[in-house]
Amino acid sequence: MSALSAVSISIQRRFGRQRLRKILLGSIPFLVMIGVWHANTVFEWLPPVFIPSIGDVWEAIFFLQEDCAGFVPLIMLDNSCLMSTHILSSVGRVILAAIIGLPFGIAFGILAGMNRTVSKFLEPVGVFANSISGIAWIPLAIVWFGVGWVTTLFIMLNTIFWLMFFNSMLGVRSVARVYEQSVLTMGGSRWDVIRQVYLPGAMPSIITGMRMSMGFGWRALIAAEMIGGDSGLGFMIFTSAAEFKIEEVFLGVIVIAVIFMATDRYLLAPLEKWTVERWGLVWKPT
Amino acid sequence: MQKKSSVSSLTQPGQRTAFDRFMWQFNQLLKIDAMNLVILVVVILIGWSIISESIPNPARYLPSPLAVVLSSVDMMVKGLLPSYFSDTLTRLVIGSAIGLAAGIPFGLLLGLNRTVADMFHPMMNFFQSVSGIAIFPIVVIWYGNSDMTVLVVILYTSFFPIAFNVLSGVREIPIRYVNAARTLGASRYQVMKDVLFPGAMPHIATGSRLSIGFAWRAVIAGEMLAGRQGLGWMIFTGQDTDSTAEVILGMVMIGLTWIILDHYLLRPIEADTIERWGLVQR
Repeated sequence: MSALSAVSISIQRRFGRQRLRKILLGSIPFLVMIGVWHANTVFEWLPPVFIPSIGDVWEAIFFLQEDCAGFVPLIMLDNSCLMSTHILSSVGRVILAAIIGLPFGIAFGILAGMNRTVSKFLEPVGVFANSISGIAWIPLAIVWFGVGWVTTLFIMLNTIFWLMFFNSMLGVRSVARVYEQSVLTMGGSRWDVIRQVYLPGAMPSIITGMRMSMGFGWRALIAAEMIGGDSGLGFMIFTSAAEFKIEEVFLGVIVIAVIFMATDRYLLAPLEKWTVERWGLVWKPT
Repeated sequence: MQKKSSVSSLTQPGQRTAFDRFMWQFNQLLKIDAMNLVILVVVILIGWSIISESIPNPARYLPSPLAVVLSSVDMMVKGLLPSYFSDTLTRLVIGSAIGLAAGIPFGLLLGLNRTVADMFHPMMNFFQSVSGIAIFPIVVIWYGNSDMTVLVVILYTSFFPIAFNVLSGVREIPIRYVNAARTLGASRYQVMKDVLFPGAMPHIATGSRLSIGFAWRAVIAGEMLAGRQGLGWMIFTGQDTDSTAEVILGMVMIGLTWIILDHYLLRPIEADTIERWGLVQR
């Protein structure tokens, strides 16, 4: 008994009492949900055509990866390794769109925000583009690029670019002019102003935009893959639904949720917190 | 330096040159948002027309603005545009109304007890992150390509963000307010009515806007995927039948509707609510 309590105390010390309580409490609804799900398969309240058993969903991973011949075809996105191919092509598209879209969006946003007249002109463009970005572009993208890889990338890029553009423009505009003028007075060049005033001043807004653009972009990407794609997780769940393979649909939805939550929680949210702490709350002259 | 002198001359009317006066008037003109908008729209329309004239087969790839206007007139005469528009709007209103009406009390109820709130917070966060579009294939298997499918997806997308936001809002209310009300003999219902609900009000407003925003995207995607008549369906079939003018018309309609909804209805409500109920901790 004393050994058990010693172990529990050391665990509490290691993770922290409050955090441990939150983790344990938070896992209860998930466990209950899994329990109900399993009970459904055992007692057959709803037929397995509507809700598959947990075992089937687990098996679906291996069924999809069945013909995979090893590591090389897995990396080459071979059609025999369906599961990993779909995951990697979706994630790859997100990364590619982020690499292209984020710098371009930030650069254009800062350029537009530098001149207040220009930014006042471009603000309606940003508002309009953001309100139709994403899903509404899919049909036009299909007309322009056909069904496939380019269309999905275009939709993702479109969503990311406009959100970043808009956010960095507003961020630059919110920086007090005194900073800009003081740097100029002390003999700084335009580039110094960008590097030392606009970029740090707009940083919280940029990072928030980054997190938002990843959230909206991921949703838009899934929809784009369903309608106008030929690979990726969205494509996978949509085609599986058409063939009534519900276990693959469930698997895909869970994978989508887990990937998104992991990215948001362990990459973007800490980044946002750190940036706001480091760069945020810039002193504003009254 | 030049810039500086022109700025100072603006503030001292006596020393203005004719050029300064002209610039001042021009600047005044630029300050009017409507004027900005008109210039912007004209520039965009001209650029669009030039591109559309210079590419081969514009009817397929990028119809001119005139073609889009003509197609809108055509669809108005046939009565298709108003009917699609009202279908989409009806779906949005019904779906998000039910979603909000269910989500706000649900979030408040979960927030009544700290332990319960801590318990459900991760799960609500999980469901909030799974977008409605991702669960679309499951719902299609359950209900087929029917209106029910679109409605369920909208309900799902609007329910979870609002419930999650209300729950977060209730959790952020300082516990001493609840304790103070309890000490003064308030019942559970009174605590909910007088402390939790007003305290969570800013979060309710923000969450509602978020919910309706997600629901709007879900309506468009749902109509495309489930093939129910509406704006989403209009742009999707427009692409199938090679009438790109209809696609662009639909996109513009979708964008304009959301701007009007967001900027003239939801944002003012949110701002007013935050002004009235926000800053609980004074």
